[in-house]
Amino acid sequence: MSKRKHNLVGYLFALPWFIGFSVFLAYPLAASIYFSFCDYSVLKKPVFIGLDNYRELFADEVFWITVKNTAIYAAISLPAGMVMALGLAMLLNAKVPGTTFFRTVFFLPSLVPMVSLAVLWLWILNGEHGILNEVLRMVGIQGPNWLGDPAWSKPALVVLGVWGVGNAVLIYLAGLQDVPTSLVEAAELDGASPWQKTRHVTIPMISPVILFNLIMGIIGTLQVFTVPYVMFPGGSPARSTYFYAMYLFDNAFLYNKMGYASAMGWIMFLAIFALTMLSLKLTEKHVHYGGGGTA
Amino acid sequence: MNRLADFALPGFFLAVLATVWASERVVREDQPPGPVRITYWEKWTGFEGDAMRKVVDDFNKSQDRIFVQLLTVSNVQNKTMLATSAGIPPDVAGIFSANVAQFVDDRAVTPLDDFCREAGIGPEDYKPVYWNAVTYRGHVWALPSTPATTALHYNTAMMRRVGLDPGRPPRTIEELSEMADRMVQKGPDGRIRVAGFLPAEPGWWNWAWGYFFGGKLWDGNDRITANSPENVRAFEWVQSFPKKYGPNEVQTFRSGFGNFSSPQNAFMSEKVAMVLQGVWMYNFISMYNPKLEWAAAPFPHPADRPDLARTTIAEADVLIIPRGAKHPREAFEFIRYVNSRKGMETLCLLQRKNSPLTDVSEEFWRRHPNPHIRLFDSLAASPNAVGVPKLGIWAEYSAELNNAFEEIGLLRKTPKEALDAVTERMQPKLDQYLKRLRLREQAEAPR
Amino acid sequence: MKRRNLLAVLSIEAVLVAMSVLFLFPLLWLVSTALKPIEETMRIPPVWIPSKLMWSNFADAMTYGADKLGYIPFLVYARNTLILCVLVVAGTVASNTLVAYSFARLKWKGRDAMFAATLATMMVPFPVLMVPTFALFRQLEWIGTFRPLWVPAWFGSAFSIFLLRQFFRTIPFELSEAAKIDGASEWRVFRDVVLPLCKPAIAVVALFSFMGTWNDFLGPLIYLLDQKTFTLALGLQFYQSQHGGTQWNLLMAASTIVVAPVIVLFFFTQRLFIQGIALTGLK
Repeated sequence: MSKRKHNLVGYLFALPWFIGFSVFLAYPLAASIYFSFCDYSVLKKPVFIGLDNYRELFADEVFWITVKNTAIYAAISLPAGMVMALGLAMLLNAKVPGTTFFRTVFFLPSLVPMVSLAVLWLWILNGEHGILNEVLRMVGIQGPNWLGDPAWSKPALVVLGVWGVGNAVLIYLAGLQDVPTSLVEAAELDGASPWQKTRHVTIPMISPVILFNLIMGIIGTLQVFTVPYVMFPGGSPARSTYFYAMYLFDNAFLYNKMGYASAMGWIMFLAIFALTMLSLKLTEKHVHYGGGGTA
Repeated sequence: MNRLADFALPGFFLAVLATVWASERVVREDQPPGPVRITYWEKWTGFEGDAMRKVVDDFNKSQDRIFVQLLTVSNVQNKTMLATSAGIPPDVAGIFSANVAQFVDDRAVTPLDDFCREAGIGPEDYKPVYWNAVTYRGHVWALPSTPATTALHYNTAMMRRVGLDPGRPPRTIEELSEMADRMVQKGPDGRIRVAGFLPAEPGWWNWAWGYFFGGKLWDGNDRITANSPENVRAFEWVQSFPKKYGPNEVQTFRSGFGNFSSPQNAFMSEKVAMVLQGVWMYNFISMYNPKLEWAAAPFPHPADRPDLARTTIAEADVLIIPRGAKHPREAFEFIRYVNSRKGMETLCLLQRKNSPLTDVSEEFWRRHPNPHIRLFDSLAASPNAVGVPKLGIWAEYSAELNNAFEEIGLLRKTPKEALDAVTERMQPKLDQYLKRLRLREQAEAPR
Repeated sequence: MKRRNLLAVLSIEAVLVAMSVLFLFPLLWLVSTALKPIEETMRIPPVWIPSKLMWSNFADAMTYGADKLGYIPFLVYARNTLILCVLVVAGTVASNTLVAYSFARLKWKGRDAMFAATLATMMVPFPVLMVPTFALFRQLEWIGTFRPLWVPAWFGSAFSIFLLRQFFRTIPFELSEAAKIDGASEWRVFRDVVLPLCKPAIAVVALFSFMGTWNDFLGPLIYLLDQKTFTLALGLQFYQSQHGGTQWNLLMAASTIVVAPVIVLFFFTQRLFIQGIALTGLK
C-alpha cells in the first residue's frame, strides 16, 4: 500500500474524532476565549469589552471565596481519597478470603447516582433526625449540625467523597495485580519488612497508576458540582460550600453573565493545566515506567 | 457480495440513527389544522396547577380559534430564559414578578403596551402595587396571574397556653419579640423544642426585613442602599434571635423542620407559633392540619415608626410573552382572558389568593374560604405594600442579601459589617451593569 | 512464620470487615428508609428495622405525581434515561474503537501530535465548555432535544480513546499482518481480528459511558426543558423539591430503584470489568 493510501485509511478511521475534536472541543474552547473578553448573555450578541471580565473577577470577593473553598476541599479530599483508595486496594490485594465480596462492597457507592447520593447523605447528616448523629450519640458524642454549621459542611462533603473512592480502588487494584510476584518474593528473601516491601517495591511499581489517579483526582475535585449543588443550595451555610463550578454555573445560567462565566472557565482550565504539569514535573524522578504498554 | 456484507452493520447503525434523529420532535411539533395551538409554561403543581388548568380549560371552551396547551415546568424562569435564547420559547410563560427586570434587560420578553392599549387594559384596573410590578422602564411587560400579600400568621392556641390574649396579636416589633420569648420552650438537654418566632422561618423574604423598618434596598436609580441605618436596624433585630437562643441551637432546631408543604411544617406542627406568611398559607393549613387554631394580622411595625403600619410584601406571579414567541397575538388573548374579572376570580378563588384587580365581585368575597381574605386584600392596597426591587441584577443582589442574612444568623458578622459588605460588593456590580446597558444601547441604536 | 501469617490474614480480614460495614451502612440505611412507613422516618431515636415492610413505597414512588401530570413521571424518566444510555453507549463504542484503532495500529501523518492533543484535552474541565457548547447547540436548534446529550458520543471522547488505544497496542501485530496477507482489508482486520480480542476493554468503556450517562445531572439540567424529557438523575431532584414536602421514604425508594440496575449490571460484568482495567495498563 502506498503511503498516501495509508494516510487515507488512518484518517478515515479517525474521522469521527477529527469531527468531534474540532466541533465539540476546539471550537468551544476558542469561542470561550473570545466570550471571556465580551459582555455576553444568551440573548444578546457578544460585545467586546477587553479585560473587563478578568478585572472584575479578581476584584470579586465571591470569586475568591469559591476559589478558597475549592482549594480547601481539594486539599483535604484529594489526599484523603488517595490514601483511602490505595490502602483499601492493598488490603484487597492481600489474597485473603472474600476479596470478591469486599471488592464489590467498596465499589458499590461509586455506582450510586450523584443526586441520589446527595439526597441520601442529606438525610444521614441531618442535625436533628440524622442517623450519623444518632450513632455518635450512642457512643456519647454530641454530633455537630453537619449541614447548618459552616465549620462542618466541608468535612461532611469530604466524608462523602471518601465514601465514593471505589473507582480509584479498582484502578489501584488493577495496577497492584500487575506487580510481578517475583519482585516481592525477592524482597522477602532479602528480609524486607512489610513496610519496606510496600515502600520500596510496591509503591514504585504502581507509581504511574498513582500519578494517573492524582491527575484524575485534581481534575475531578476542582470541578466538584453536583453533590454540593443538590445538598447546599446557594452554597449555604454562609457560602461555606460555594464551589468554583457552582459560581461559574450561577453566573452563566442564573445571572446570564456568560462572558464572565467563560473567563472563570479559562482561569479554571489554566489552574488545572498548571497543577497537572506541576505534578508531572514533581513526580518525574519518582515515577517508574516499568514493564510494557506505558502511555 | 463480501464488500456489501462488510458494510451491513455500519449501514444498519446509520439507518437506526437517522430514524432516531428524525423521530425526535420533543419541542418543535407541527401545527395541526384547526385552532391555533399555543404553549404555556407554568411552574405550579398540585392544587395551584389544577386551578390554572381549570382556567385554561374554560378559555379553550369559551372560543374555538385558540387552543392553549399548559405544561408544567419546574424552575420555569431559567427554562424560559434558555428556551427563549434557543429561539424556541413557549408562547406564554408564568414567571415571578421578581424576574421581570432581568428578563427585560436581557431582551427576553415582548412589550405589551400596544396589546394593552387595544384591549383597554390600564393602571386603573389594578391595585397599584401589582401594576407597578409588571411595568419597568416605562413599559408594560407582563400581566399578573395571581398576586399575594404577606401577613403575620399566629397560633392562637399556643398564645392561650402561655397566658397571652389570642385576640390581641403583636402590633409592634417590640411586642412581637416579647411574645416570642414567652413562647420558647426548651427540653432538659437545653435544646429548643418550641419557638415563638424565628426570622429565618420560612426564610423566603430574608431580603425584605429592612422594609418593615423603613429601609430601602436601592434608591431606584443607581445607588445600592443595603447598609442604610433602617436596614441595619432590621438586621440587628433579626440577629437578636440567634443571640438570645444561641445560633447553633437555632440551626439544629430548624434542621428538624419538615418541608413547607407537609404536616411537619414548623407552623403546622406547632414548633413555631408565629410566622410571616402569604395568603396561600390558609390553604396549606386546611390541607395538612385543619384543626390548627390560627389567625392573621398585619405584620408589626417598630414602636417608634407608626407610619410603617400595615407593611406587606406584595409579590405576583405574572404572565409574559417571551421574545420570539410564534403567536404573540393569540398569547395575549389568553393573558387577557386570565386578567378578566371572571378568569381572575376563578383562578384566585381556586388558589385561595386575593385578586390583583380593583374591581372585585361580591361573589368572590362570599365564596372565598380564607376567613382573613379581606385582610390580605386590604394589605395589597396599603401604601406600605412593597414589591421586589426592579433591578436587572436582583438575582445576584438577593443571593448576596441571603448570604448576609445567614452570616448574621450564625453571628459571624455584625449586621453593619454584613450589610456594608453587601453594599460594597453590589455597588460596583450595579455601576458596571448600568454602564454595560448604556454601551449596548449605544451599540444597538440606529445610526 | 506460619503463625505470623495467620495473624496477618486475620487482621487484614478484620480491617476489611470493619471498612465494609462503614461502606455498606449508608446503603443499608437507604434501603431501610425506603421500606419504612412515613411516620417512622422521622422518629427519634431512629428506627433501624421498619416495624412493617412497606413494599408499597416502591409502587408509590413510581407513580408519584402521576395524578397531577397525567402521565407517570418515573416511567417517563426511566424510558428517557434508557434511550439516552443506549444511544450513548452505542456511540461511544462505535466511534472510539474506530478512532483508537487508528491511533494504535495505523500509521498516518500527524498521528502522534494528534494523540498528544487528545491527551491534553482530558484536562479541559466541562464548565469551560459549558457556555460555548450551549451557544453551539442553540445555533443548531438542538436545545430541548436529546441531541446535545447523545450526538457528541458518536464522535469520540479522549478518555475512551486513550483507554482503548492502550489495549489495542497489546494485540500482536503479527495477527493483523497474517490477515492482510490473506487479503483482508483494514476494515476486516479491525472487525474480525482486533475487535473480538478486545472485549474486556470495550466492556470497560461501555460501562463507564453507561454510568456516566445514567448519573449525568448537569447535561440534562442545561439542555432539557420539558419535564417529559427529563432523565432519572434530574427527575430525582424534582421529587425532592417539587412539593417542598419531601417524603423521605418515597424519595429513598425512588433512589433505590435508580441505583439497583447499575448495581446489578456491575455484578454481572465485574470480572470482565476488572480484567479490562488491569489489561489496559492504565499507567
